[in-house]
Amino acid sequence: MRRHLIWLLLAMLAPNLVVGCAGVDYVSVAHSGLKVAGKAVEASRPISDSEEYYVGRAVAARVLSTYPLYQDTQLTLYVNEVGQAVARKSSRPNPYRGYHFAVLDTTEINAFACPGGIIFITRGLLQTCANEDELAAVLAHEVGHVANKDGINSISKARWTEVLTTAGTEAAKQFAGPAGSLVTLFEGSIDDVFKTIVVNGYSRSAEAAADQDAVNTLSRAGYDPGAMAALLTKMAAMDKGSGGIFKTHPPTSERLAKVKAQVTEGPPSKEMAPRTKRFQSQKL
Amino acid sequence: MRHPAFVRKPVWWLMVLGLAVWLLGPAPGWGETLKVAQPNQSLYPSADYAGTPIGPVPMGAEVNVVQQAGEWYKVEYQGKTGWLPRQAFPQPQTGSKFPLGGILFGGPVKETKSDEVALAGKGFTPEVESAYSQKHPEMQFAQVDRVEATRVDDAQLQVFIKEGGLKP
Repeated sequence: MRRHLIWLLLAMLAPNLVVGCAGVDYVSVAHSGLKVAGKAVEASRPISDSEEYYVGRAVAARVLSTYPLYQDTQLTLYVNEVGQAVARKSSRPNPYRGYHFAVLDTTEINAFACPGGIIFITRGLLQTCANEDELAAVLAHEVGHVANKDGINSISKARWTEVLTTAGTEAAKQFAGPAGSLVTLFEGSIDDVFKTIVVNGYSRSAEAAADQDAVNTLSRAGYDPGAMAALLTKMAAMDKGSGGIFKTHPPTSERLAKVKAQVTEGPPSKEMAPRTKRFQSQKL
Repeated sequence: MRHPAFVRKPVWWLMVLGLAVWLLGPAPGWGETLKVAQPNQSLYPSADYAGTPIGPVPMGAEVNVVQQAGEWYKVEYQGKTGWLPRQAFPQPQTGSKFPLGGILFGGPVKETKSDEVALAGKGFTPEVESAYSQKHPEMQFAQVDRVEATRVDDAQLQVFIKEGGLKP
């Protein structure tokens, strides 16, 4: 009888042990106990949205230690309005803490999508855009990188496996703060992403996918999908330059050809005038 | 004074304790009201982004949660029923308590998320960011906070969309 009662008690407590009252205690104990067996499982765990967010914040912090933020509240708000107008029509409209757009004070022509949803566009690229639709095309392309998790996927698999196993090892001493090894791995992950988005650029397939996403997103949002092709045409004309967007993207002519083929299928927007007017009222 | 036999037996005390923890501990909520914590949210007809949004749900709006499916909550808002993504809501506080109704009726809303609560299972956390920031004071986290502070509220965005001849 007593044995049955003990089993009954354990059955009643089971949900709390799994979900956790404060969560942490139970999980850490279980985690420590199953640490060895759990490593293989953990290594296959994808990066969560919140982890992606914190990596993105750190990448953004590093970008902002390289390029200063352009301090124009009105322009920043306008860029955010355009960005939100396209992001809500993207394949990933609601990342962990939403999208945030900002302008970098540099004449370089570039844009960066940090994992999780922070997106930067340089003043140089803003000045290259002829109208709001082209700005929307840039932002939709970068939103596409966030949606496809191109930045976060540039963290090497070996490093991520190490992160997960280290996180598991640290489970039992979680209240003592993060281990130095985990911070070092975080640092390495930031390096991986930063090198990809700022120095080396994404793969051709990632760029092509982001272009395709951008065209679709522009159409859904009501912007002229042809703006993507117009922007790429300008970039192709400047393709002999060095640095900036040319360093971070594959040959523009190749992308332009693909986008043009895609855009011919969609009808152009007929209401560009008010958008162009408000774009031109911005101090770029 | 002589106590009943069950009072003297530890197993009975354990059962009472277990029952108390089970009833008072976190459990799925049924019919729980949650406040939308993110701007620019829309009510979707199904638990994905494919459909045309039913309508906007502003930040701060209170919705009645009736069901959960994966990363989505089925909610009622202003007489409409639709789906909102999990990210629309504030992250749950560890150790928070949930309505008794959810326990009794086995509501489908799983408010406490394993990946949010279990620090042990997480690699990169605010604590890791803080340690990284201390190690690299040159990193401009204050500027990142400033970037994140810029928000476009729902009403403002709707005006912007309308004035620009964009699709609602």
